[in-house]
Amino acid sequence: MTAIDTGPVPLRATPLGRIRKDYFSSPLSTAVSLLCFGLLLWIGWVLLDWGVLRATFSAEARQAECRAAGGACWSVIANRWRLILFGLYPYEEQWRSALACIAVIATMVLSCIPFLWTGKRIASVWALGFATFYLLMKGGLLGLPLVREEQWGGLALTLFIFTATAIIGMPLAIAFALLRNSTLPWIARTTGAVIDAVRSLPLISILFTCAIVLPFVLPDFVLQEKLYRVIAGSALFFAAYQAEIIRGGMQGVAKGQDEAAMSLGIPYRHRVARILLPQAFRNALPATINQFVITFMETSLVVVVGFFELLSSANAAFGTSEWTFAFVEVYVFVAFLYFIFVFGLSRYGAFLERRMATGQR
Amino acid sequence: MTVPAISIRGLQKYYGTYHALRSIDLTVRRGERIVVCGPSGSGKSTMIRCINRLEEHDGGTINVLGTELDDNIGNIDEIRREVGMVFQHFNLFPHMTVLENCTLAPMLVRKTPLAEAEAMAMKYLEKVRIPDQADKYPGQLSGGQQQRVAIARSLCMKPEILLFDEPTSALDPEMISEVLDVMTSLASEGMTMICVTHEMGFARKVADRVIFMDRGEIVEEGSPEDFFTAPKTDRGAQFLSQVLGH
Amino acid sequence: MALLQHQKSRNALLQILYVGVLLALVVTAALTARHNLQAQGILSGWNFLWKSTGWDMTFSLLPTSSSDPYWWVLLMGVLNTLFLGIIGLTFATLVGGLVGLARVSDNKAARLLGTIYLEIFRNIPLIVQVFFWYALANRLPSPRQAIEAGGALLSNRGIYLPGLNIAGWSVAAGFLTLALGLTLLLWLALARRFRRVPPVLRRRRGLAVMLVTLVTLAAIFFLGHTPGTPLLTLPELKGLNIRGGYRIQPEVYALAFAIAIYGGAYIGEIVRGGFIAVGTGQTEAAKALGLSEWQSFTRIRLPLAIRAMLPILTNQYVWLIKATTLGIVVGFADFFMVVASAITHSGQTLELIGILMAGFLIINFSLAAVMNRINRAIALKGHQNRS
Repeated sequence: MTAIDTGPVPLRATPLGRIRKDYFSSPLSTAVSLLCFGLLLWIGWVLLDWGVLRATFSAEARQAECRAAGGACWSVIANRWRLILFGLYPYEEQWRSALACIAVIATMVLSCIPFLWTGKRIASVWALGFATFYLLMKGGLLGLPLVREEQWGGLALTLFIFTATAIIGMPLAIAFALLRNSTLPWIARTTGAVIDAVRSLPLISILFTCAIVLPFVLPDFVLQEKLYRVIAGSALFFAAYQAEIIRGGMQGVAKGQDEAAMSLGIPYRHRVARILLPQAFRNALPATINQFVITFMETSLVVVVGFFELLSSANAAFGTSEWTFAFVEVYVFVAFLYFIFVFGLSRYGAFLERRMATGQR
Repeated sequence: MTVPAISIRGLQKYYGTYHALRSIDLTVRRGERIVVCGPSGSGKSTMIRCINRLEEHDGGTINVLGTELDDNIGNIDEIRREVGMVFQHFNLFPHMTVLENCTLAPMLVRKTPLAEAEAMAMKYLEKVRIPDQADKYPGQLSGGQQQRVAIARSLCMKPEILLFDEPTSALDPEMISEVLDVMTSLASEGMTMICVTHEMGFARKVADRVIFMDRGEIVEEGSPEDFFTAPKTDRGAQFLSQVLGH
Repeated sequence: MALLQHQKSRNALLQILYVGVLLALVVTAALTARHNLQAQGILSGWNFLWKSTGWDMTFSLLPTSSSDPYWWVLLMGVLNTLFLGIIGLTFATLVGGLVGLARVSDNKAARLLGTIYLEIFRNIPLIVQVFFWYALANRLPSPRQAIEAGGALLSNRGIYLPGLNIAGWSVAAGFLTLALGLTLLLWLALARRFRRVPPVLRRRRGLAVMLVTLVTLAAIFFLGHTPGTPLLTLPELKGLNIRGGYRIQPEVYALAFAIAIYGGAYIGEIVRGGFIAVGTGQTEAAKALGLSEWQSFTRIRLPLAIRAMLPILTNQYVWLIKATTLGIVVGFADFFMVVASAITHSGQTLELIGILMAGFLIINFSLAAVMNRINRAIALKGHQNRS
C-alpha cells in the first residue's frame, strides 16, 4: 500500500534485478508467476509427452499400435494428408493442386512487399496469382487434363474461395465505400441500407441462401456452378465489412485534400484514384489485414453448404471406421494449418501497425 | 477592351439559415492585386471559395474570365483550370513527392507529357526557391517550405488568377516572410491575385486595392493608402486598431 | 446531352437511375422467385405460419412437439439463439476480462500466459473449435461409465448437474428474479443520483433488496416444488441412462464453450486496448494524489478503460450473437437452423428468408441499442483530452 512506488532502482540494470521486477516484485506477483509457470510447464509437458514422446509417427501403425504407445497417433496424418490437403482431386494430378497452392501462397507473401502497394501493381500480382491457380487447378489446356470444380477440395479449395472472395470483394468494397460517401443523398442512403442489411446477417445464412435457396427461386441463366454462387455471397459479405473499413480510412483523409485537387481542376475519377483511395488505404491498412484474417477463417463456413474444403476433408479423414479414434490428431493438424496462415497474416498486420504508429511521429 | 478577370454581382450564400454573404459586388481587372481583410467569420474565405466553386453560391452571378460560373459542369472545370488556389493548411498530397505534387495536375488535366511537366515543375520550384527539395515528401518539409511548394503546384497549371486563402495564418512567425517574398515577386510579374490575409505590411506594399469585409458584406474598399491611413467607416477603423494596435 | 452537362439535373438523374436499377433488380428477383415457387406448387403468403411443422426440435427451452405451428417453432429458435448467445457472451466476457487483465498485468509470466492463450484461440477458426469440442464431447464415456465430478456426471449423453426438483416455470421465474435483483443492486451502487446518499443508508437499501430477492426466490421455489420429492436431486445411473438433475446436451455446451473460448480471446484484446487507451497521465495523477494501487485501479483505470472498450465491445457482441448460427453444424436448433429446416420442409423460401433477416436485424439492433444506451449513460461528458 505504498503511495509512491520507486521500485528497486539500483537493481534495475542487472539481469537478476530485472527478473525480480518482472516476476517477483510482490508476494502476489510471486504467487501469480509461480502459478503461471506451473500451468505453462504442465501444459507444455502434457503436449510434449502426448504429441512427441509417446506418439506414433509410422504410416503403417494403426489403432492397436497407437493405443499401445499411449500418445498421439500421427499415423493418421501420414496416411491421410493427401485427402486433407487436396480432397477428391484425382490422385495422379495432385501435384497440380500443390503447385496451385504454392502459387497463391506466393501471391500472399508478395503482396506484403511495400514496393507493390500501388493499385495497379497489387491488382496485377493478384490477377496473375489467381490465373495461375485457376489454370493449374482446372486444366484443359497445355496437355493438362480437365478437372471440374466439383472435384476440387482440401486446402486448395479453401485458398481458392479465399482469393476469389478477395479479388471480387475488394473492388466491390471500394465501390460500396464511394457510393456510401457520395454527396448525392439517395445514392448514399440506399447503399448504406444495403451494407447495413448485409452486415447484420450471419455469413452462414448468406452462404445458405446462395447455395441452397437461389436455385429454387432464380431463372436458370443466373445459376452457375454452386461454388461460384457461394463465392459471390462470400464476396458480398466481405465487401460490406471492407467498405466500412475503407470508409473509415477515407474519414482520416483531410477535407482539404479533395479541395486542393478540385482547385487544380482534377476530375472526380482521378481525385478518387490518385488522392483519396491511396491515402484511405494507407489509413485502413491494419484493419484491412485484420479483415483478411477473419475472411480466411470464415472460408471454413462453406462446410455447412456441403463443400469439401480443408475442414470438411479433415472430417472425412477420420470418417472411416479405421481412423475414427484419431479425430484429435486430425483436428490438431488442421488447426495448425489454419494457424500458420492466420498467425502469419495477423503478425504481419501488427508489424505494419507498429511501423505506421512510429512513422507518424 | 478585355473582359474583367472576375466579375461578381449580387453574390448570396447561406449555410442553413445563416446568411454568410449578403449581396457581394466585386470586379477584378486582369493583373490586379487585391487584398481582402476583415474579422474572422466575416465571409472572406467563403467569398473566394465561391470563385472556384469550392462553395456553391445561392444567389447572384460570378463570371470568371468571361465564363459564367453556374451549374454547367463544363464551365466549372474550365474555371478551375484557370484559377489556382493556395490554402491556409497547404493541403499538399502527403503520399506524393514534391515533384509529383507539382506534375500531377498538368499531366492529368492538361495532358502535359511527363518530361515537360517535370521541367516546368522544376522551373517553378526554382522560382519559389526550393528546387533541392523536389524528391522529398511534404511531411519532411517545414511549414514555410510546404506553402511555397503549394504555390509552385498552383503555378504549374499556369493559372490566370491565383486565390490565396490566409496563406500565412498556419505558419510559425519566422516562416511568414519567406512565403510573403514569393507572393510579392509573383505580384511584380503581373499575376492576377486575390489574397485573404491579415498581413497588413504585405497589403500596403503589394495591393492595388484593399477590400474590408464584415458580417458578410463589403464594408469598404479603396487603395491601401486610403484604407490604412483614413478608413471611411467605423467598423474599418475599429478593425484596424485591433490588428495594428499591438 | 445538355441535361448531362447541368450539375443539378445530372445529380437527380444519377440518383433516380441508381435507386431505380437496384429496385428493378430486387423486384425482378422477387417476382421470378415467386413465379418459380408457384410453378412448384408453393403459394406465397403467411398462412404456413399456422400449420404444424411435422418435425421435432433438437433443443428448446419451452416444450415443443412436431404438431406445433411454424410460428411457435420459429419463436423457440429465436429463444434458443438468445439463450446460447447470452451464455456465450457472459462467459466470453469473463474469459476475456481475465485474459485482458493478464495481458496488461505488470507480471511478465501472466502476460506470457495471456498472450499464448490469445494467439492460439484467436487464430483458429471458430468452426474448427466447435467441431473439436463437439467431437470430444461425443467421445466421453457412455452413461454407464460416466465420469463423476462433485455430484455432476459427464457422459457422451451430456453433462448432468445436480438440480432442484421444481417446475419449469419457477426456474424461469427464479432466473428473472435473480436478474432483477442484481440489476437493482448494481443500479443502487453505481447510479449517479445516489451518489450523495450516505453510505449507511446505501448499505441498508442494498441489504433490503438482497433480502427481498432471496425471500421471493424461496417463495418461488417453494411454490414450484414438486410435492413428495426431495428439493435437491443428484443425477444417478438408472438402468442404461442417467436420471435426475439437469442435463446439458453436448451440442449446447460444446457450442457455448467454443464461443466463450474464442470470443474470450477477442474480448481479451479489446480489454487490453481499453486499458492502453487510458493514458499514463491519469495513472500518474492517481499516484501523485496518494491513491493505492488498488484504489487507482478500481477508481481510475478500470472506469476509464470500460468507457474506452464499450463501443468496440458492441461490435464484438453482435458478431458473437451471429456466431450462434454455427449451431447448425452440431445440430443445435438456433434461429438460423430452424429457419433452414423450415425452408426445406415448407418451401416458403421468400417469407422465411424475410423472417430470418428481420429476426437478426431486430436482435442485433436491440443489442446495439442497449449497448449504446449504456455507452451514452457512462460516456465522459464533453470533449476530453486524453494523453
